[in-house]
Amino acid sequence: MAAPSYGLIATFDTAPGLYRAAQQVRDAGYRNWDCITPLPVHGLDKAMGLKRSIVPRISLAGGITGFVTGMTMVWWTDAFDYPLLVGGKPMFSPMFAFPVSYELTILFTAFATIIGMFVVNGLPMHYHPVLKHDHIRRGMDDTFFIVIEARDPRFNLANTSALLAQAGGKDIKELET
Amino acid sequence: MAHAEHAAAPAILQEVNPAVLPRAVLVANNRSFSWITEKICGIIEGKTPAWWWIFFGVAVFVASFTVAGITYLIATGVGVWGHANPVNWAWDIVNFVFWIGIGHAGTLISAILCLLRQKWRTSINRSAEAMTIFAVVCAAIFPVFHVGRVWYAWYLFPIPNSNVIWQNFRSPLEWDVFAVSTYGTVSVLFWYVGLLPDLATLRDRFYAAGDKFRSFLYGLFAMGWRGSNRHWSNYEMAYMILAGISTPLVLSVHTIVSFDFAVSLLPGWHTTIFPPYFVAGAIFSGFGMVLTLMLPLRAVYHLEDLITQYHIDCMCKITLATGTIVGYAYAMEFFIAWYSANPYEGFTFINRAFGPYAWAYWIMITCNVLTPQFFWSRRVRQNTTLVWVLSIFVNVGMWFERFVIIVTSLARDFLPSSWGYYSPSIVEIFTFFGTFGVFSTLFLLFIRFLPIMPMAELKAVTPQADVHGGSDHH
Amino acid sequence: MSTTAATASAAALPVESSTATLAGKALTIGLVGLALTAIGLFVSGAQIVATSYLVGITYWVAIAIGLLLLVLIHHITDASWSVVIRRQWEHALSAFTWLAVLFLPLLILAWMKPGLIWPWMDLGHEIHGGGTVGADVLYQKKSGFLSLKMFTGATLIFFGTWIWLSARLRQASFAQDADGDAKWTHKNRVTSALGIPLTALTLSFAAIYWVKSLEYHWFSTMYGVWFFTNCMRGGLSVGIIMMMWLLNRGDYKGGVYNANHLHCISTLAFAFTVFWAYITFSQYFLIWNANVPEETFWYNLREVNADGTPNQWKYVGIIAILFGHFFVPFLLMLSYRFKTTPHIIRRIALWILAVILVDLCYNILPALKDAHGDPQPFFSITLVWVLTSVIGIGGVCAWSYLKSFPTTKLIPIRDPRVVESLTHHE
Repeated sequence: MAAPSYGLIATFDTAPGLYRAAQQVRDAGYRNWDCITPLPVHGLDKAMGLKRSIVPRISLAGGITGFVTGMTMVWWTDAFDYPLLVGGKPMFSPMFAFPVSYELTILFTAFATIIGMFVVNGLPMHYHPVLKHDHIRRGMDDTFFIVIEARDPRFNLANTSALLAQAGGKDIKELET
Repeated sequence: MAHAEHAAAPAILQEVNPAVLPRAVLVANNRSFSWITEKICGIIEGKTPAWWWIFFGVAVFVASFTVAGITYLIATGVGVWGHANPVNWAWDIVNFVFWIGIGHAGTLISAILCLLRQKWRTSINRSAEAMTIFAVVCAAIFPVFHVGRVWYAWYLFPIPNSNVIWQNFRSPLEWDVFAVSTYGTVSVLFWYVGLLPDLATLRDRFYAAGDKFRSFLYGLFAMGWRGSNRHWSNYEMAYMILAGISTPLVLSVHTIVSFDFAVSLLPGWHTTIFPPYFVAGAIFSGFGMVLTLMLPLRAVYHLEDLITQYHIDCMCKITLATGTIVGYAYAMEFFIAWYSANPYEGFTFINRAFGPYAWAYWIMITCNVLTPQFFWSRRVRQNTTLVWVLSIFVNVGMWFERFVIIVTSLARDFLPSSWGYYSPSIVEIFTFFGTFGVFSTLFLLFIRFLPIMPMAELKAVTPQADVHGGSDHH
Repeated sequence: MSTTAATASAAALPVESSTATLAGKALTIGLVGLALTAIGLFVSGAQIVATSYLVGITYWVAIAIGLLLLVLIHHITDASWSVVIRRQWEHALSAFTWLAVLFLPLLILAWMKPGLIWPWMDLGHEIHGGGTVGADVLYQKKSGFLSLKMFTGATLIFFGTWIWLSARLRQASFAQDADGDAKWTHKNRVTSALGIPLTALTLSFAAIYWVKSLEYHWFSTMYGVWFFTNCMRGGLSVGIIMMMWLLNRGDYKGGVYNANHLHCISTLAFAFTVFWAYITFSQYFLIWNANVPEETFWYNLREVNADGTPNQWKYVGIIAILFGHFFVPFLLMLSYRFKTTPHIIRRIALWILAVILVDLCYNILPALKDAHGDPQPFFSITLVWVLTSVIGIGGVCAWSYLKSFPTTKLIPIRDPRVVESLTHHE
C-alpha cells in the first residue's frame, strides 16, 4: 500500500478480553493508541494508563466565573448603575444576591463542562479514519476494538500486529487515513 | 479472591463467607449487548405504530386547548383568568409549581441516583430526563403569560432597555427567572450529553441500512462520536460533574420556587421548612409521573427485561419515602403553627383543614400521605395496574398541595373583611388542561425519534460488561 | 495460605488486648472530664455548668444518632460499600445506653431546680422585659407541650427508641457472623424501615425540647432538619476517624480496606456539608428576608447586644459557622486527592467535629443571659465546662465503643454484601 496508513485495528469480542489486551498494549509502552467501546468500560482507564481527566478543572473555572458574574451583576445593576431601594432592604447584600449568583455558578459550570469535554476530546470530528473501518458500526453496538496509530514511535507493522494478535485481537487490519 | 495474592492477607479475610442473598438483576434474562441495541433502536427504526398516531392526534387536540386559552388571553388580557382580590395568585402559580415539580424527578433520577451509584436508574433516566424538559416547557407557559403583555417578557432578563432601570434582584420572582431558565438549559445539556453515544449508534445503523438522510441527521448531533475510550474517560467525568451540579441545581430550583412564598409574611407561606419540603414534594410528584409514563411504555414496547419488577419496587419505595417526608413536613408545619402561639398561623392551618377549602386539603392528605403507604406491601408493588392507579393519585395529590398552600393562605389572611373565595375561570381550565396535551405531544415525539433508554449505560450494568469477571481483580 | 492465616491471627491477639488498655484509658479520661465538670459546679454555679453539659450531651447524642442513621440507611438501601465499616458504627451504637445514663443528671436537675436550664420549667421565672413565665401568654398557649412531665416522658421515649433500635441492629448483625443466615439481613431491613421514621421524629423533637425550647418564644419548622444535618455530619466524621484509626493500627491492611471506601464516605461527608449549608442558610435567609420580630430576635441575640453593639456571637456566626462549618470543609473536600488521602481527610473530619460543637454552642449557650438580657460571650469560663463535658461524655462513649469492639469480628464476615464491599471500586 502506497498511502501511509493511520494504524492498525484489532477486534475483540468481549469486554474482559479487551481489558486484558489493553493492559498488554499499555505495558508494551505504546502512547498513541485507543480502545473503541460501545459502553464505558469500568477500569479501562487504568488498564490503558490514562490519567484522571482534566475536565473538572475547566468546570471549576466556569463555576467561579459564574459566581463572580452573578455577584457583580447584582451589585452593578441594583447598587451602582441605578441604585434601587426596595422593601427597605440594603442596596446590595450577598444574601439576596446569592440565589442568582448560585444559579449562574451552575449554568456556567455546565457550559464549561460540556464545552471542555468537547474541546478536550477534539469533537466534533465527523471525519475520522476509525469511522471508515468496515465493522465500526458494531463498535457502537457490541464489539470492542483496539487501534494503534502509525505515528506512535514504537509502531512497527509486523511487531504491532503480532502484539495485537498475541493479546487476543482478531481481524487485524490496517486503517487508511 | 483478591486477597489470596497478598502475602500478609489478614486472617479475617479467610473467614469471609457471605450469606446468600442475590441482588436483583438489572437486565433480566441475561440479554446480550446487541439485543439491547436492537430492542431500543428497533422502536425508532420500525414503522410508526397505529396507536402512536391515535395518541398523537389526541395529544395535539388536547394541546390546542392551551393554544386557544393563551390566544384568548393575549387578545383580551390577564383578566380572563379567575384571579381577583384577595387571591391574586392562583392556578397560574399552582400549575407552574406543579409542572416544575414533576420535572424534578427526572433530574433526581439522572443526577442524585447517579451520584449514589444506584445502577437501576439506567432503565428510566432517559425518559425521566425527557419528562423534565417537557415539564419545564409546560411550567414556563404560566408565568410567561401571567406577565400580561407577553411580548415584554424579555424585561425579566437584565438586558439594557430604554427605561434604563434594572431588574429588582431582591425579588424571588426574579430569582425564579434565573433558576428556571438555568434549570431548563442544564437539563437540555445533560440530556444531550447522555444522548451522544446513542446518537452515534443510530447514525451507524441508519448508514448501514442505507438511510443516508437520517444517518446524516443523527450523525450531525452525534458530533463524530466514535466510542473512543479516551473520549469515554472525559465523557464519564463530564457526566459525573453534570450530575454533581444538577443535584444542587434541582434542590435550588424548588427552593427558590418555595422562596416565592416563604419570603413573604403571609401565614402558611412564611415558614422555614419550605425549601426541603418543596424539594421532597417535587421528587415525590415526579416519581408519580415517572411511574405514570413508564408503566404503559413498558407494556406497549415489552420492556419487561429492562424495566424489571425490581425497578418498579425501587420507584415505589422512593415514592413512599418522599411521600412520608412530605407527611413529616405537613405535621411539622401544623405542630409549629400551634407551637408558635401566633393566632394567624394557627388560624391558617385550622382553616386549611376545616375551612371552605377543606375538601382540597383532605384530597391532598389522602393522596400524598396515605396513598403511598400502600407501597409498603409487596403485593401492591407487584400489581402494575394498581401501582399505575396509585401514581395517578400522587399526581393529583401534589397538584392539590400547591393549590392548598397558595389559595387557602391568600383567600383568608389577616383581615376577615377582605376574605374571599377563588374559583378558576374556563380560560384557566382550558390552559391547564391543554398543557397535558403539550406534554404528551412532546413525549410522544420523543419516544418516536430518540432512544428511550440509554443503550450505552444499560450495557454497562450488564454482567458481561464487568471486565473483572472473577479473574485478575485488584 | 494456612500458615499466613495462623501468623496473622497470632499477631492479632496483642492487638485485641490493646483495645482493653485503650478502653481503660478512655474511661479514665471520661471520668476525669466528668469530675472536672462536677467541680465546675462549685466554680461557676449550676446554671452555667448544666447548660455547658447540655452542649456536651447533645453533641454526643447527635453523633450517635448520625451513626444510627447511617446503619439504618445502609440497610434500607441494601448498600454494599459500607459493609466493611458498618461493624464499627454498630459498636459505637452501644454508647446510647450510657448517653441515657449521662442525660439523667439533667433530668434530675430539671426536677430539683426547674427553670435552671430551660426557663419555661419554672412558672415563676422572671422573663426579660417583665413578667413571669406563668403569666406569659406565649407560654400559656404552649403549656400542653412545654411541661416538665412531657419533657421527661419524651426524653425517656427518645432514648428508649434509640437504644431499642440499636440493640436490634447490633443483635441481628452479630448473630449473622455466627450462622450466616440471610434472615438477619431481612430483619435489619424491617428494623430500618420502622427505624428511619421513628428516628426522624425523635431527633426532631429532641432538638425542639432540648435546644429550641431554651428560647421558648422562638419557632422554626426547619429546626429538626437542621439538627438532622449535624447528626449526619457528626456520624460521618466519626465514621471516617474510626476507619483511619483502624487503618493506622493495621487492622485494615491487606485488602480489607481500599481507597474507594474512603472516597465513598468522604463524598457523603461532602454532600452533607452542602446539605447542612443549604438548611442553615435557608433558615437564616427566610428569617432575614421576612424580618418579623418574633423570629428575628433569636438571631439578633446572636448578633447584637441590647444597646446595638455587636457581640461575640456575631463573629462566631460568621467565622466559625459560615466559613468554618461550610466553606473550609466544602472547598477542601472538592478535591479528590484530599478526600482520599487518609491523613488529610482525618484532619478534615476532626475539623468538622470541632465546628459541629461550635454550632451547638451557638444554638445553646446564648440562652445564658447577663443582667441586661444579653447573651454571655462565647469566650468565657463556660467554654471550659463545655470542653470538660465533651471530653467526659466522649470518653465514656469511646470506652463503650472500645469495650464492644473486641466482642465481634472486625467486619461482618457473613453479610451477603461483604464480598462486594471488599472488592468495591468506583
